[in-house]
Amino acid sequence: MIAEYGQLALTFALALSVLLATVPLYGSFSANQRALLQAKPLAIGLFIFCLLAKLALVHAFLTSDFTVINVATNSSSILPWYYKITASFGSHEGSMLLWILMLSGWTALVAVFSKGLPLLMQGRILGVLGLINIGFIAFSLFMSNPFARSLPFYPVEGMDLNPLLQDFGMIIHPPLLYMGYVGFAVSFAFAIAALMGGKFDSTWARWARPWTLAAWLFLTLGIMFGSWWAYHELGWGGWWFWDPVENASFLPWLVGTALLHSLAVTEKRGTFKSWTVLLALGAFSLSLVGAFLVRSGVLVSVHSFAADPDRGIFLLIFLLLVIGGSLALYASRMNSVRSQARYQLFSREVMLWGNNVFLLTATLVVFLGTLFPLFHKELGLGTISIGEPFFNQMFYYLTIPFALLLGLGPWVRWKQQPVKPLLRPFSLIAVASLTLALGTLAAMQSIQANLALLGLLLGAWVGVSALYELYQRLSQFGSVTKGAFKLHASHYGMTIAHIGFAVLVVGVAMTKTYSVERDVRMQINDSISLAGYQFTLLEVYPLDGANYGGEAAEIAVHNSKGEFISQLHAEKRFYTIQRTVMTESAVHARLSRDLYVSLGEALPGNAWALRLYVKPFVRWIWLGGLLMALGALVALLDKRYRRGSSRLTAASNSEATNA
Amino acid sequence: MRKLMFYLPLVLFLTLALFLLSGLFSNPMERESVTTNKPLPAFSLPDLMQPAQRWQPAQLRGETFLLNVWGTWCPTCNAELSYMTELKQQGVKIIGLYYVLPADPLLGESFDLALLQADVSNKLQQRGNPYQFNILDADRSLSLDLGVSGAPETFIVDSNGIVREHHIGDINPQVWRNKLAPLYQKWRQQDSTE
Repeated sequence: MIAEYGQLALTFALALSVLLATVPLYGSFSANQRALLQAKPLAIGLFIFCLLAKLALVHAFLTSDFTVINVATNSSSILPWYYKITASFGSHEGSMLLWILMLSGWTALVAVFSKGLPLLMQGRILGVLGLINIGFIAFSLFMSNPFARSLPFYPVEGMDLNPLLQDFGMIIHPPLLYMGYVGFAVSFAFAIAALMGGKFDSTWARWARPWTLAAWLFLTLGIMFGSWWAYHELGWGGWWFWDPVENASFLPWLVGTALLHSLAVTEKRGTFKSWTVLLALGAFSLSLVGAFLVRSGVLVSVHSFAADPDRGIFLLIFLLLVIGGSLALYASRMNSVRSQARYQLFSREVMLWGNNVFLLTATLVVFLGTLFPLFHKELGLGTISIGEPFFNQMFYYLTIPFALLLGLGPWVRWKQQPVKPLLRPFSLIAVASLTLALGTLAAMQSIQANLALLGLLLGAWVGVSALYELYQRLSQFGSVTKGAFKLHASHYGMTIAHIGFAVLVVGVAMTKTYSVERDVRMQINDSISLAGYQFTLLEVYPLDGANYGGEAAEIAVHNSKGEFISQLHAEKRFYTIQRTVMTESAVHARLSRDLYVSLGEALPGNAWALRLYVKPFVRWIWLGGLLMALGALVALLDKRYRRGSSRLTAASNSEATNA
Repeated sequence: MRKLMFYLPLVLFLTLALFLLSGLFSNPMERESVTTNKPLPAFSLPDLMQPAQRWQPAQLRGETFLLNVWGTWCPTCNAELSYMTELKQQGVKIIGLYYVLPADPLLGESFDLALLQADVSNKLQQRGNPYQFNILDADRSLSLDLGVSGAPETFIVDSNGIVREHHIGDINPQVWRNKLAPLYQKWRQQDSTE
């Protein structure tokens, strides 16, 4: 019965989303205040019904109701309870419901936290979000119903959750990622509302900024956890594979990052107007294109859900309506907009323009690299594939000027920056980064002109510059301690995020240069040394888990002086229901390096294949991502996103009477 | 001119949508194999169990058969053994091409043939033996020439020694019924008409 209640709740949600998409928008065109006032309760009601539907599905999974097809194909009675919950979004159908829950959640949040917004804007934004909700709820109900039953013939046992997904990373990675993807729907709705109103002053940018920051925060965390999960679950020691679906999450992130910076220009200087609107449309559009690529089976990827052309057609029509419609609106409204602000060549505006240029070039590279095989094939030119080397090389060339610019940017003033005052701080920064980079390599006894040196130089350049700029800014308040309390939270946020980027660059460059790996054949008590570490296979014994068997190996690690470092526990699991083998690699993590062991096949002669890695600085990659997310969080706490409501209401009333 | 610029994103998006639409109706996993409709590459490789016996393409002619690339190290290959044994009982001729792992010849690694033979016959006893015989591709030269990207993969080779189909992935009842059986029957019938 509960599953039917879930379906009923989802049907009610569809009805509410239709109301949300029509009533407030009607109100906005006819200046009907009563219709506009319906937006908030409708949005909250929509969220409540989506939540009920989600809870019903979780209930079906927890009680192992195998009459529900989705449960039977993605869960089993011996699955631990927490994985039963994650199994509820492990399939295409379930993840669509999670997506809807997030979307309606953002919609409700906008409704609750938009007191400062004029009623007209509120109605338009929530109306647009309602339209997007209709598309996804209808898709779920009609094309991929998570509650479909297989009565009267149902299996007595489920097919179990894909063992790859039975991991802590899977519990948090999809919800964070979806929060990010869907969060850009809010920026999108703000931009559409601004397009409808025909006003592109700095106010819409100020309203859209905190929402964009929040979406970006979640997307950053989602991508980082995905990378970390792949690293320790797939057993290849890799952290990014340029897989089409990874790229699909990276594209909105790149455009979202450009949007954050462009919004700053539009808010502070009233310029880049049409550009910022386009980025806001673009970030969400790329989330949608990504969803299409993952769910339609157009591209080959490890992440893809089962392909079904009907679903693909539905999504494609939805894309055409949402993206095509918004871009048509953009084209028809934008040609009247002109930016009046003036600025010199060396100014903050131009620096942020440069940021946008590099981020969008990166977007283009990833986009073409991902879709080129499709274009190539559909033009009848045959099949090709584009792999890591292409992306790595392109990002190598893009990162160098981007990082140099990033070190410079925060120092440069709006409108115009004289060169002379910057000469002294930047010679200091240059000397400091050179010393830091060479010092680090000297400590590792490996000074040579390689990728690591370049990465350290760029990382130090960005990091030192960010810290020094913060110090400079704080001293302007009289004293650093006094300034520490006066400086805006958003400035701290920016500094932290930029340092995060520096840390990430260092991590990538060091890992790429100094990682070593070896595939070995080991018998018990065999010892193998790699990069100054001694790996000894102590024992291998059978495993007995709840829904898996397999083998586990204990490996002792000593350093070159013979001191004991750690005992690693690597597993090779065989999941009995899905009949799949999974590696659970063992990792000993330190900030300076990871020791990583994955257990392979049993070999003839009482021996095992093992793969050993020493990966210096690999933690820095995720640390950098976490710092970027922390930066966004700190910036969100800025007071100015929570004040000024009275002024805005006054401005909006005049707009409402105009309409 | 400036006005038209704002239509550029829309035009680009519509072009993309066109590609996505046509992409929906073609299978991304499908790709033309460089080896299909060409004769088997030249080789002279030992038998896995009786290395004194060497196999050459000419000896394989006369009847349509499946050439199945596999290894005991590959769980999917082991899983398909029992179904392929059923096929053998129905009269399908299957020849194994044994792909050695983890010893990589490019790195100069070698392996113990006696241990490997014991391992293979052990596995075939457990799961069923679908093979007429196994060809040992120790240095992977034939696998490379055939464009093998992993295991299991299966080729349909006709009576004239021409490769007719390159199937990537395992053989299970569904795949056999829907994809491979019709092709196999087709080439099989040509055998009898000749």
